[in-house]
Formats: sequence, C-alpha cells, structure tokens
Amino acid sequence: MDVLPNEEEQMVKNLAREFLETECPPSLAREMEKDDLGYPPELWRQMAGLGWLGISLPEQYGGQGLPLTYLGLITEELGRVIAPVPFHSTMVAALTIAEAGNDRQKQDLLPRVGSGDLVLTWAFSEENPRYLPETIHCQAVEDGDNFVLNGAKMFVDNFVAAEKCLVACRTAPATDGNAGISLLLVDAGSAGISQIPLTTLAKDKQSKVTFDNVRVPKANLVGELNQGWPVAQNMLDRGTALLCAQMVGAARKDAEMGIEYAKNRVAFGRPIGAFQSVQHMCADMILWVDGGQLLTYEALWKMDQGLPAAMEVSQAKSFCNDRCEAVVRTSQVLHGGMGFMMEFDLHLWYRRVTAWTMRLGTSFEHRARISRALLDQPGQVRLGMNLEVPA
Amino acid sequence: MDFAYTPEQEQLREEVRVFIKENLDDDVRQEIEELGIRRRGPKVRELYRKLGERGWVGISWPKEYGGQGGSRIDQYIVEEEFARAGISVGGAGSGAPAILAAGTEEQKNYFLPGLIRGEISFALGFTEPQAGADLASLQCRAVRDGDEYVINGQKMFTTAAHYASHIYLMARTDPEAPKHRGISIFLFPMDTEGVTVRPLWTIQNDPPAPAGTTYGDARTNEVFFEDVRVPASCMLGDENMGWYVGAMGLNLDRVGASRYLISVQRDEDIVNYVKSNDLGGMNLAEDTSVRDRIAELWTEAQVCRLMTMRSMSLVEKGGNFTYEGSAEKVFAPEHGIRTTETIAQILGPYAQLLNGSEDAVEEGVFAHNLMGAFQSGINHGSTQVMRDQIARRGLGMPRS
Repeated sequence: MDVLPNEEEQMVKNLAREFLETECPPSLAREMEKDDLGYPPELWRQMAGLGWLGISLPEQYGGQGLPLTYLGLITEELGRVIAPVPFHSTMVAALTIAEAGNDRQKQDLLPRVGSGDLVLTWAFSEENPRYLPETIHCQAVEDGDNFVLNGAKMFVDNFVAAEKCLVACRTAPATDGNAGISLLLVDAGSAGISQIPLTTLAKDKQSKVTFDNVRVPKANLVGELNQGWPVAQNMLDRGTALLCAQMVGAARKDAEMGIEYAKNRVAFGRPIGAFQSVQHMCADMILWVDGGQLLTYEALWKMDQGLPAAMEVSQAKSFCNDRCEAVVRTSQVLHGGMGFMMEFDLHLWYRRVTAWTMRLGTSFEHRARISRALLDQPGQVRLGMNLEVPA
Repeated sequence: MDFAYTPEQEQLREEVRVFIKENLDDDVRQEIEELGIRRRGPKVRELYRKLGERGWVGISWPKEYGGQGGSRIDQYIVEEEFARAGISVGGAGSGAPAILAAGTEEQKNYFLPGLIRGEISFALGFTEPQAGADLASLQCRAVRDGDEYVINGQKMFTTAAHYASHIYLMARTDPEAPKHRGISIFLFPMDTEGVTVRPLWTIQNDPPAPAGTTYGDARTNEVFFEDVRVPASCMLGDENMGWYVGAMGLNLDRVGASRYLISVQRDEDIVNYVKSNDLGGMNLAEDTSVRDRIAELWTEAQVCRLMTMRSMSLVEKGGNFTYEGSAEKVFAPEHGIRTTETIAQILGPYAQLLNGSEDAVEEGVFAHNLMGAFQSGINHGSTQVMRDQIARRGLGMPRS
C-alpha cells in the first residue's frame, strides 16, 4: 500500500513537467485554438522522441510496456500545460487496438503510433450522448469483403487531425445476451465521410461525423463481430480515467495560479492571500484536486492490474467533474475581473476543465453506475472492498 | 503506486477478524455498552492484555520498547478492524508518537510497554476555558521548585479524564516568552494529589448515546489543578518546547483508522440500511434522488479512505506532513457531517427518533449522530484552523 508515486514514477512525471514547461507555453494552446489542424506536429514528434506515445503500448509492437499509471502521469502533465495535442484520442484508440486487435493490426498500427506517425481517434457518442449500447444507431452491414457504414457520430475528438477513427457501430440488433456492437477502424479520408466542426467552449477540435455508405474492409474489424460492447466499455473506462488525470493536472495548475495571484495581489493594504477567507478558498482548491488525484490514481492502478475498475473510474470522474470545476471557478473568482479578460491566460484552463466535465460521462451518469454497484446487488458493503458494477 | 495490501497484510486482517469473533463475546460487548467505547472495564482490559500478547498494539513502535518494529500499515489494519468492532486500540491518539519522538529513555521504557499492556492511557489536557482553537494562549501554569514543578490551573473538555490513568498536560512554564515558546508538556498520573475531575454532560447524555454512535460522548470533563506537585522528570521534551512536541503528536492524532472510520461508517450504514429496509414502503433504494446522493457520499468516503492511506504512506516512508494531515482533518469530518445530515433527509422523520423511542431506527444512532456530528469538525483542531494551516504551512500564504 503506497498511494503516492514511487521514485521511478515521480522521475517520469518530473521529466515530463520539465520538458513541457519550456516546450508547451500557454501561447501554444492559444495559437492552436485558431489552427485548422489543432496541434503542432513538431511538438508531437518531440513527444514521440521522448517515448510518450508508446509508453504503455506493448514492447513487441515498439512500445515501452510500462503500466497504465505511467501513461496517466504523462497525461496529467499534459493536462497541466493544457497541451494542444491529440494525445488522449490517440491513446484511447491505440490501447483498445492493443487490447482487442489482431496481431496484424497491432503490427501495422502500434509501431506507427509510437513513432508519432499515426494520429488516431475514436467515435462512440451519437445524438443521445449517453454511454450506453442502446444509443448506438450507426449501422454497419456486411457486403462481400467490406462493411457498409451509415449513420452519424457526435463530439468526435480531433477527427480533423486523425488518420483513422475507431467507430462503435451496430452490426446486430440488441438481444438479451448481446448488445450487437462492433468496433471498426475507419480511414478518416474514406469516401462517404463528411465532418462538420463543432464550435466548443474549449475551442478544441470536435466534429460531427456523418457516414454515408462508407465501405470499410472487414480486415478493419477490431475484436470479434458483435462482441464489441465489453471492449467499448473498457475503452470508455480507460479514456475516462485518463481524462480525469488530464483534468487533475490542469486543475492543479489552475489552483496554483490562483494561489500565486493571491500572494501578490494587494488590496486593503495587504496581499489578499493574507485574508483568511481567501486562504480557505485556496486550501479547499488543494483538497479538491488532491481528492480527484487520489481517486484517479486508484482507478488507473486497478485497471493496470486487470482488476474490475468501473466503480473507481466513476468515482474519479464524478468527483473530478464537480470538484475540478469548483477549483477552476474558485481560481477565476480569486483573479477578479482579470481572469475574465481574453488577454489573460487563466481562461485557457477554465474553459478546458469546464468542457472536460461534460465529456466521457456526467456526474449523474457516473453516480448512477456507482449506485448500481452499491444498491442493486445483494450483500453488505464496506469501504475498501472490491465492488463491481452489475451488468 | 500500489493500492493493495500485501498477502501477509490480508492474512493479518483475517487473523484479527477471527480474534475479534472469538474474543468479543456478549459479556465484553455489554461492558462496552455500559462503560462506553473508550473506557475500559475488567473484561476489556483482559481483551487488551491478549492483544498485547499477540503484539498487535504498537506494531510500528521499536522492539526495545515492546513494539514489533513493524509497518505502520500493519498497525493501521489492526486499528481499523478493532475500531469497526467498537474498540480503540492504541495507535495514534495514545500520546505514543510524541513520547517516541521526544521522550527520555526512562519515559519510553515506562510508558510504551504500559500503553501496549493497556495499563496506561492518557487524557489529553490541552483545552482551557479561554484557550480552544487558540491553544497556544493557554494559562495553566507550571512553576519549577527544586526537583519538582508546581501546577495550577484548569483544563476543559478533557474527555478521558475520568478513566485515563495519566494526563498528557500542556502548561505554561515561561509566561514572559512569546506564547508558543513558553509551553511545556508533563506526563503524570491522574490520581496525583491536587487533581480534581468534574463531569460536563453533553447533549448526548439524555438518553445516553447508544453503542455504535459514531460521534461524540455523553460525558466530558473539566479538570482542576491545585498546587499539584510533580517530579521534573515528568516533563516530555525540553522545557518551553512543549508546543512543538505536542504538535508532533497532534499531527499524528488527526489521522489514522479511528478518525477515518468516525467519518465514514455512516456511509456504509446508510447503504446497508436502505438495501434491507423499505421503511414504511418508501423503497429508498429505488429512489433516483437518494441513489444519486448516496453515490456522491460514497465517493467522498473513498476520498477519506485514500487521504488516510496517503498519510499512512507518508509515515511509512518516514516522510513528514506539510499539509496532508490537516487536509484529512478538513475533508473527513466535513464529509461525515454531510453524510449525517443527508441521512436525516433520506430517512425523514424516522431519523429524529432517539434510543428508547417507539420505532427508533437502529436504536437511535442516526438521531444521536445528528447531535454530535458537527463537533468532529471542532475537536483536535477545528476545520477552520486546519484550513489556516493548509494555506500557511502547505501553500506558503502570508500571515499579513
């Protein structure tokens, strides 16, 4: 039992922080908000050179094979500097290919991910953006060596930057024992795909993607036909835990900026940070980020150990949604009117963390999952026990 | 990172559970019921002796003083299992951390084995009528006279004073020095001549809080010192350094199994309760609002657990707290209060029924907790003072 990063983990985290503090200033995030691609390829190549893109991918496919917790720590540091890179979307898709793909797919794709040559994304949400199999209406029908894909996906991250997109689609009607979902890796440039960019709070690159008779080779099926729901659940849980790490990193930096500002801003003849009401706001920010961080680390660790982690993921995301939002709002309040000004950098963090609270599950969705685990199965509960979310 | 206990630790937990099952029989439970959780009658003392034999008290203390030189996590496991069974086992609140850090050889050799055998327990003589949150302004006076000190003054809210064997007293030894630098700590028997204990009854005394009440006590005390003469060797640490010696102990007293469980046991209780009782047909387990709130509280309780584990992890590595102990002492009590108050809204009017009342839920435990929960945010450093410490010590914020 040691809930803190060990020496090696801390070293990886420190090195990432050192690199990003010089190579990824807030001006880059600001610049990329207006960029068509949304990320600087040079920074992406540097990240590949540092081994980050393959850090938790299997060694036999060019990765470093390090535990998911390491990927979490890198993601946390990227969140800290609100790095405008398609890291999260690429990792979520790549880890799913590593988990469920066949050897040829892994051979073809994962080394390219690690070397920075392949940007990926994934698409689950549709018009009803709940993370449930019944919301999937995008349909893939077999036709010779291909599937023919029709439908629309919402809130697809970095679609404009991605070469390929892992799409959750319906290949069979849902029955009692089977959700009828499959995962297809679709070339983003395929004929019949159109995308409409969404204008978002975070000014990130999200798209509504429409598939109109898009032909996808059967060789691009990731995992078994119609057996995609459990794989998608793992994908969503991993993606959620990594997003929490990103939120925790960004929220902590945001809190630190608020604390620093309070130490220096003078009002009523003293730094406002000398007032207890302000000090207590600062203390609360740190409590909230710490809580989110601990929950996130536990979720990542459990997933890495192959233990059921749905409960831990939902705990982390529901808590981060509420408390990281409270952190960035509190920091805005500490900054007074300055934080509201476009020229001041603080809003870059505020808008992103706020937007991330709505991605990969709202607090209500995650708490619904937690309550199922607590209340919808027999037996007494006890903190510290392993609790699974019933199907 | 490693969020699991080792197989050996899991086995230790199992052994402790078996021991509790075999030894905590109805007789012992009745004694606890009659005397309260922390007060030890002959049966509990016998239980405590057996615990000492097994080496389960002070596991992390050095072998030379009767401990096992073992892991703080192991000690936590034992403390948690016993706290869940309603028994407080040594650990952080015992005064031992400060004795280990600042005591003389003679003091360590006397107190630590005594604590392990259950023969010694401390009442914490800190608070005074005019010195609560601002503890360093305490007035209780100790004046050197040859090889002795003469103590005069009053302590308040000294909860264990009527059953503890010794007092862990903070008194002023230099009234001229700045307030933090004129305080010393004395350890001496409660039955020393000139010590008088008077009961203070709390709002939980009518009717007395039932066993299983998480918060508060039916009784606390005020203690008067009139020309109490104690040998100079009773002083813990150096003269006038008592504030800093005490801070070491208090920091560790704020964390650990009992603080954690006080704050989260109601979360388990409410889940288990609504699962097995429909309470007049309310079907609370199916109520969407109730489900959402319960999930939220459960998540906060997990944060309490992880903050406790963070403190344990830091202690285990030999690291010092900067703000982590204070963080736990803010988050956990405030969470516990939220849970207690939310339970009132979940159970509705049933939650007001005290023990002895017709239709009381769980013998009135929920109602008693509503009376006592808020004070978990006050004792051992209020959450407001803790936030000051997080901000000043942890975040380096200015005093002026």
